[in-house]
Amino acid sequence: MKGDRHAFEALLVRYQKPVYNAAYRMLNNAEDARDVTQTVFLKVYENLDQYDPSHRFFSWIYRIAMNESINWLKKSSRQEALEHETADQGDGPEQQAGDVQLGEGMEAALMMIKSEYRAVIILKHVLGCSYIEISEALDIPEKTVKSRLFTGRQLLQERLTQQGLH
Amino acid sequence: MAIDPNIVELINADIDGEISPADKEMLAAMMADSPEARAMHAELSGLSSSLDELPDLDAPPYLIHTIMAQIPKPESQGRRGDFLRGLFAAPALRYAAMFAAGSVLTLSLVSSDQVSERAFSDVTGLVGTISSEVPVGPGIQTMQIDRTDVAGHITLRSSGPLLIVDFDLVSNGPIDIVASYSDQSVWFNGFAQLESPGASISAESGRISMKIDGKRRYALYLHNPGDRNVSINLRFMSDGEVVYDTEVQYAQPGQPG
Repeated sequence: MKGDRHAFEALLVRYQKPVYNAAYRMLNNAEDARDVTQTVFLKVYENLDQYDPSHRFFSWIYRIAMNESINWLKKSSRQEALEHETADQGDGPEQQAGDVQLGEGMEAALMMIKSEYRAVIILKHVLGCSYIEISEALDIPEKTVKSRLFTGRQLLQERLTQQGLH
Repeated sequence: MAIDPNIVELINADIDGEISPADKEMLAAMMADSPEARAMHAELSGLSSSLDELPDLDAPPYLIHTIMAQIPKPESQGRRGDFLRGLFAAPALRYAAMFAAGSVLTLSLVSSDQVSERAFSDVTGLVGTISSEVPVGPGIQTMQIDRTDVAGHITLRSSGPLLIVDFDLVSNGPIDIVASYSDQSVWFNGFAQLESPGASISAESGRISMKIDGKRRYALYLHNPGDRNVSINLRFMSDGEVVYDTEVQYAQPGQPG
């Protein structure tokens, strides 16, 4: 497909919305999500020859999307602040950084859990992936998918309860 | 009382729609004897529903164009050239050059937030003379274009006698933009290009033509000495066919457009 603009455009039309939604839910910022979505598709175009057809195509795109979103978070100062605040808290929920303005409700609660948990929750509930599809997208065992989903939801529940929202 | 981990796993599998009929039957039997398990199931079901109901967002309308504009186009390689060479090849540039030599533009690229916060480092082409910065007001009129062949934003601003039309556009292929106005007291006053190379522009009385191909950010400067009401027609053409036609309007403060 590399070099075939029409085929790539069709792929873009098909996947831009889920990739944008995934990035938005990972980053909770429309501009960052737009930039990450652009980066994802440019990487897809550049690396089409590395796609392994034994895996589902969307799993490959979602993997790039999640990796790029996590890289973006790592690069951003707000994530550094979050990590600094939660450095000694093991697997507990991430805390809101003092200078970060987070909204209320589910979107804010999602941003307060670690990105590894947020990623499985987004793949499951935003993109509608099955356990095996999440496993492929994140390159982790299915058992880990289940445990991260369980832990992630528990943490989310705790955050919502603390906010009096659930 | 702690819930058996096997029940917890089955509850999660049930909520995720990944439970076999046999396991679902077994879970139902287990939950019948466990109020804690039923409570957990209800709680997780509610949370899961809330997550499923997060709104499905639309990607920005021009995202596809922006991405496609960054994909290499083999046929476009030959068209990319030095900006000034392309610019001075335009016959009507003499008009711009003559005007620029005889006047000083007191315009600011820096303070125009539509143009760029990176200001001059982004400017890849310029016609006219910049002497000093003057504040550029907020957009008088902003319009969004979302067509299959061209998309993005156009913003009209003013600064004293200057009218500034900012173009932030992406196109699927070559698009000619013709800006025309009937008021003969309005002059073409300058043109700036940001970020991208390979522009072409020509100007004649009451009519300025620009070409875009891919992602382009242009600023077009018009001199409106009498602070008169001005309508600028913008016509977008692909292969000679009009694909989009619109108008931006400047009205003196306190006057209807």
